[in-house]
Amino acid sequence: MRRLPAEREIAPGVEGGERAELRRLMVRLADGDRAAFRPAFALLWPRLRAFAARCVAAADAEDVAQAALLRVFSRASEYDAERDALAWALGIAAWECRTLRRTRQRRREDQVAPPDPPDPAENPEGTIIARDLSAAAEAVLGTLRPNDVETITAAAAGSGKLRGATFRKRLSRALGRLRIAWRARHGSR
Amino acid sequence: MAADELDLRLQARARRAYELGRLLAALRLAPFVLAAAVAAIACGRPFPVTCALALPLLLLSVGLAYAGGPAGRAVRPGLLAGAGALAAPLLMATVGHACFGPACMSLALPACVVGGGLAGVVIARTTVRRDADLPFVLGALAVAALTGALGCTLAGAAGVLGMLAGVVVAGAPVLVAARR
Repeated sequence: MRRLPAEREIAPGVEGGERAELRRLMVRLADGDRAAFRPAFALLWPRLRAFAARCVAAADAEDVAQAALLRVFSRASEYDAERDALAWALGIAAWECRTLRRTRQRRREDQVAPPDPPDPAENPEGTIIARDLSAAAEAVLGTLRPNDVETITAAAAGSGKLRGATFRKRLSRALGRLRIAWRARHGSR
Repeated sequence: MAADELDLRLQARARRAYELGRLLAALRLAPFVLAAAVAAIACGRPFPVTCALALPLLLLSVGLAYAGGPAGRAVRPGLLAGAGALAAPLLMATVGHACFGPACMSLALPACVVGGGLAGVVIARTTVRRDADLPFVLGALAVAALTGALGCTLAGAAGVLGMLAGVVVAGAPVLVAARR
């Protein structure tokens, strides 16, 4: 499965050990272990900031990342140990991005997402097409519920719980809703 | 340096958000405690006695759940176990059993002991299933005892002591057998 644009940038730094460590830290935080706060903050903050930088304009990225970080920690006691902590946090961040976009749309101050950094290995036409596709995918993803975003990002990141029947069912439903949202916005392409 | 200061400030804000989130999550237990108190009052328990028990129960439940750890995890099982001990004597009173003077002891006291025994088994089995430690058992016992006492005051101090005896007598063998 093709990785989502923001996940593509963030996932390589959070593979394997760090991902599992974040999960362990969030479980400890959910249980009330305050000693896990500092390391969890150190792991989460750079990832949320990177995610926000890919989802919204650079001027808003810091605010969105901060809002997402505060939301993640305020909901830490609700964290379910069965879920992937990074996907859960990025789902919350995606929701914050969506909220900002909607607010901007309402105020008619909607800003165009920042372009991806150009890749010298690709030709200019390919870069433009990839950028358009990324922006379109992000826009459609932003209209989904946080649970659906979390499920899709977890699947895109190749999370270990992909084998579970429950997860596959959730993923199937989330992708179905993504398809509907895509068709609503872009027709049947 | 400035970036470090910003990070520290953000860390402090995140910590406040975390603590506030935990407090709000712990406060979600309050309706259950209040419902238990209302049920006790509705079944005729004196208002001052019920308040004297419900207030510590509320503070204990919310406090332990907020603090977290094994004792925090014990609050829900404790409330559940205590609900049985609370319901047993109150049901006796509401199904027509006259509870005046010595006649009250004929059914209300045994109901408290049986309710306590039920609570003891629930706590012991939960402890075994979760492989929990002493703080979990103590937290669950304290919460269950206060919850059950809301109903067992129907049989006076003897009812509360009977309930506690029921908890120990029924719960201890389950725990001991599981630890062997």
